[in-house]
Amino acid sequence: MSPERWREVEAVLQAALDCPPPERAVFLDVACAGDDDLKREAVSLIHALTEAGDFMEQPAMAHDARVLFAAQRGLDAGSRVGRYEIVRCLGVGGMGEVYLAHDAGLRRAVALKILPAYFVLDDNRLRRFYREARAASALNHPNILTIHEVGEADDVHFIATEFIDGRTLRELVDGAIDDESLDLKDILDIAIHVASALAAAHEAGIVHRDIKPENIMRRTDRIVKVLDFGIAKLTAHAPPQFSTQVSNDVSNEASTIINPQTGAGVRLGTISYMSPEQARGQIVDHRTDIWSFGVVLYELLARRHPFAAATQIETLVGILEHEPPSLIISTAGESPASNVSEHLRRITAKMLRKDALQRYESASPLLDDLNAVKEELELAAMLEKQAASKTASPSENMEQVAASLHVQPLNEKNPALRSFVSFAFIAAALVLVVAAGAILYQGFIAPRSVNVSNINAAKLYRRMSEREQLAFIREQEQRISQMMGDRRRHTLDEDALRSIKRVVDRYVARIGSMSDEHGNEDLRVIYARALPYLPLISRSFAERKVPVVVGIYLPMIEAEYKTCFENSIGAKGMFQFLPQTAKLYGVAHDEMCDVEKMTPAAARYIADRMAELGDDAESMTLVLLSYNRGAEWVRDTLRRLRETGSYERNFWTLYAHRTELDEIFRQENAQYVPLFFAAAIIGENPAAFELQTPPLSSSTQ
Amino acid sequence: MTTISAPHDVTSLLHEWRQGDNQALDKLTALVYDELRRIAHRYLRHERDYHTLQTTALINEAYLRLINQQHAGWQNRAHFFAVTAQIMRHVLIDYARRRHYAKRGGKERERVSLGDATIMSHARARELIELDEALKDLARLDERKSRVVELRYFGGFSIEETADVLEISAMTVRRDWRAAKAWLYIQVERRK
Repeated sequence: MSPERWREVEAVLQAALDCPPPERAVFLDVACAGDDDLKREAVSLIHALTEAGDFMEQPAMAHDARVLFAAQRGLDAGSRVGRYEIVRCLGVGGMGEVYLAHDAGLRRAVALKILPAYFVLDDNRLRRFYREARAASALNHPNILTIHEVGEADDVHFIATEFIDGRTLRELVDGAIDDESLDLKDILDIAIHVASALAAAHEAGIVHRDIKPENIMRRTDRIVKVLDFGIAKLTAHAPPQFSTQVSNDVSNEASTIINPQTGAGVRLGTISYMSPEQARGQIVDHRTDIWSFGVVLYELLARRHPFAAATQIETLVGILEHEPPSLIISTAGESPASNVSEHLRRITAKMLRKDALQRYESASPLLDDLNAVKEELELAAMLEKQAASKTASPSENMEQVAASLHVQPLNEKNPALRSFVSFAFIAAALVLVVAAGAILYQGFIAPRSVNVSNINAAKLYRRMSEREQLAFIREQEQRISQMMGDRRRHTLDEDALRSIKRVVDRYVARIGSMSDEHGNEDLRVIYARALPYLPLISRSFAERKVPVVVGIYLPMIEAEYKTCFENSIGAKGMFQFLPQTAKLYGVAHDEMCDVEKMTPAAARYIADRMAELGDDAESMTLVLLSYNRGAEWVRDTLRRLRETGSYERNFWTLYAHRTELDEIFRQENAQYVPLFFAAAIIGENPAAFELQTPPLSSSTQ
Repeated sequence: MTTISAPHDVTSLLHEWRQGDNQALDKLTALVYDELRRIAHRYLRHERDYHTLQTTALINEAYLRLINQQHAGWQNRAHFFAVTAQIMRHVLIDYARRRHYAKRGGKERERVSLGDATIMSHARARELIELDEALKDLARLDERKSRVVELRYFGGFSIEETADVLEISAMTVRRDWRAAKAWLYIQVERRK
C-alpha cells in the first residue's frame, strides 16, 4: 500500500466509524463507489477493531516493566567472561549485576561486576568510568577492596574485584541492635581500618565520595574493606556489593524531593551520609570522606544516627544547620572509661564540623587519634584487670603498669597520646569504678509531632493491631482537641471512634496510589500540595489566633477541591469560599484562586466565626460547617437545636445528635467531623503515615 | 566532544536529537535509564492497578530530576516525553530480540539470565517484535500515527498527553489511535 492509498482508506474508515453501525454498510457502498478494493480494506479494518479486543489496550510497560531491570546482559552459571567462569549471581543493582566467578587463570574467587548495556552506550560515561576504575585499581592497601581487573571480554564490560566473604557494616549495625553486638574494641578496630584505607586513598588523590555502612565490609577474619572507591560517584545508584533482589535495591534507592515552589528536583542519595558541602552541591574533596566516616562512626558508637529525623527534609536541615546530639556511647558490654568517651566525643565532633576546613585535614591525624584511643582502651582494660585482681598489692600494680607503659610504643609525634599515658598512670593509683549497665542514649532530636505512647511510636499505623489503632486514634483525638482549645475532657464513644478510624484507614489505603483523581490520590501527594502554602497559612492564622490545626486541615480534607491553578508540577487546591462569603470578605470571584488573597481572608472568616460561636474546640465543628454551608445556615440550625432543649454544644454531642438534626447537618457532621480529625491525626503524626512533610502544626514558630 | 556538565546533559542532548543526531538518543538512553527503571518499578509495585498509573507524572518527575531547573520549558518537556517513549520502545524491543534469538540457539546465541522466563516469555517477545516491525511499516505509511502509537503504547501516555506532545487535538489522537490499532492488529495477525 502506498501512503496516498492509505490516506484514502483511512478517510473512508474514519467516516464509516463515525456512522452508527447499522448505517455503515450503506455508507461504505456509497463512499467507495465501485472501488471494491477500497471497500474491502475499510471493512477489514472495521472488523479488526471489533476483533482486537484488548489488543494494545494497556501500555507495554504494564506487561513488561521487569524488562527495564533485566535489560542488560544476564549470565548463566558456567558462562565465561574472558578467563572468568561464572559461578552464580550475587545480586543485581543499579550498576549492573554482580557475580561470583572463578578466575581460571589465577585460581581464585572474584566478584565480577558486569556493566549493563545501557551504560556502555554512552562513550563519555564509559571512558570516565574506566579512568576512575583504573585509578582506583592502583590503590593497593589491605583495607581497600582490591580491583583485579577492569576490562572487556566476550562483548561484556566488567570489573573483577576480590570477593569478600563477610558482612557490610550496615548488616553489622542493624544486626547489632537485635542480637550480636559490636563492642567498643570492635568499633575502634573497624574505625582504624577505615581511617587507614582513607589515608592511603587520599594520599593517592582519590576521594571515595560515598562512604557509608553499605560500602564497608568486614571479612570473616575481621579485616575491614572499603568498597567502591572512586567508582561510587560515576554510577547513579551503586548498590552495595552484594545487594539482594532488585526490588529491595530500588526501594532503598535515592528518593527525590521535588521543591513545590521551584519545581526543581533535588536528587537525594542516601542523604544520611552526605556532607554539608555535598548537600549544597559544592565541590567535594577528601574532607567529605572524613565527614561521612564521622557519621558512620557516630552511628556505630551511639547506635543511633547523628541526624536522624522524621523526614528527609529534616535530616538535611540537621546536616546543614544543627549540631548532632552529644555523643553518648552505647555499646555492648561495659561502658568505657570516661576519658575514652571524651576522646571519642572530640574525635567524632572534629569529623563532623560543618566547615570542612575545621575537620581533620586528612585521615592521617585521625588515624593517629584513633590508635591512641585504642591504646587507651586497652590500657584501661588492663588496669581494670589489675585492680580486680586481689593478689597484687597496689604498689606492685603500679609497678606492673609502669613497666607495661614503657613497653607500649609511644607515638612521639602525638603529644595527645603522651597525655593519655600520664593520665592513665595517675588513674592507676585509683580504683576504676565501672558503671553498671549501658548508658542509654538520650536527647535524640524528637520530631515536633504529637508524641504517641512509646509502643506506638515504634510502629507504623499499618503494622498496629486493630486494638492498637483504636487506642492510637483515641489518644490522638484527645491531643488534637486539646490543640484546638478543648477545655473539657470527654471520652469519645465507640461509634465516633470507629468513624474516624474508617477515614484514616481509607487514607492509609491510598498510600502508594498512583491516581490523580481526587479522592484517590496518595495521601502524600495531598500533603505535598499543601506544603507551599504552609508559611502563609500559619502566619495568617497565627496572627488571628486561629488554631493552625484548623487552618491547615480544613482545606486539606475538603473533598471538593477546585482546580484553581497548577504550578509547574501541578499542585492544586486551596481554601474555597462560598460565593456569598467571598463577597462579604472582599474576595472577588477571579481572586478565589489567589492564595495570597484567599488565605488571609479565610483566616479572617474563621476568626469571625470563632468570635461568634466560641473559640473552643467544641465550636470548631460549627466553624467548619460554616465554611461549607454558610454562617447563616449554621445559625439557623443552632437555633433549632436549642429549641429541642437537649442540645449541648460539643463536637461529639453534635455528632451524637445527628439523627435529630436536619438532613444536611446530619450528613455534614457524620462525614465532616471524623474527616477533620482523621486528617489532623494523620498530619500530626507524619512518621506513622509515611508522610514526608513535618507535622503541619509545627510550622508555626 | 566536549564534556557537558550534568544538569545540562538532557537539554543539550534533546536539542541534538532534534537536530537529527541519532547518537544523541543513545546517550539520552543511558542518562534516562535510571529514571525509567524507577518508573518501571512503580508499575511493578502496582501490578494490579495499571489503570491508576499516571505515566506523565512519573516521567515529569524524571524529567525534573534530570533537568534540575525551574520551569523547564514546555517544548523541551514535550520532546522529552517523546524521546522517553522512544527509549522505552527501544529497550523493550531490544530485550525482546535477545530473548527471541536466544531461543533459537546457534553460534550467535545471546546469553540470557536465569530469570528471563519470568520477565518475558518467548511468546511475548515474538509479539513485541512483530508489533515493532508492523509499527515501522506503519511509519512509512503514516508517520504521525506511528508516533501516536509509540507515545500511547510504549510511553503509556493518555490521549490528552499525546495530543500535547504532538501538538494536535485530542480528537485527532483518538482517530489516529483507532485507525492505527486496527491496521496494526491486522498486520500482527497476518504475521502469525
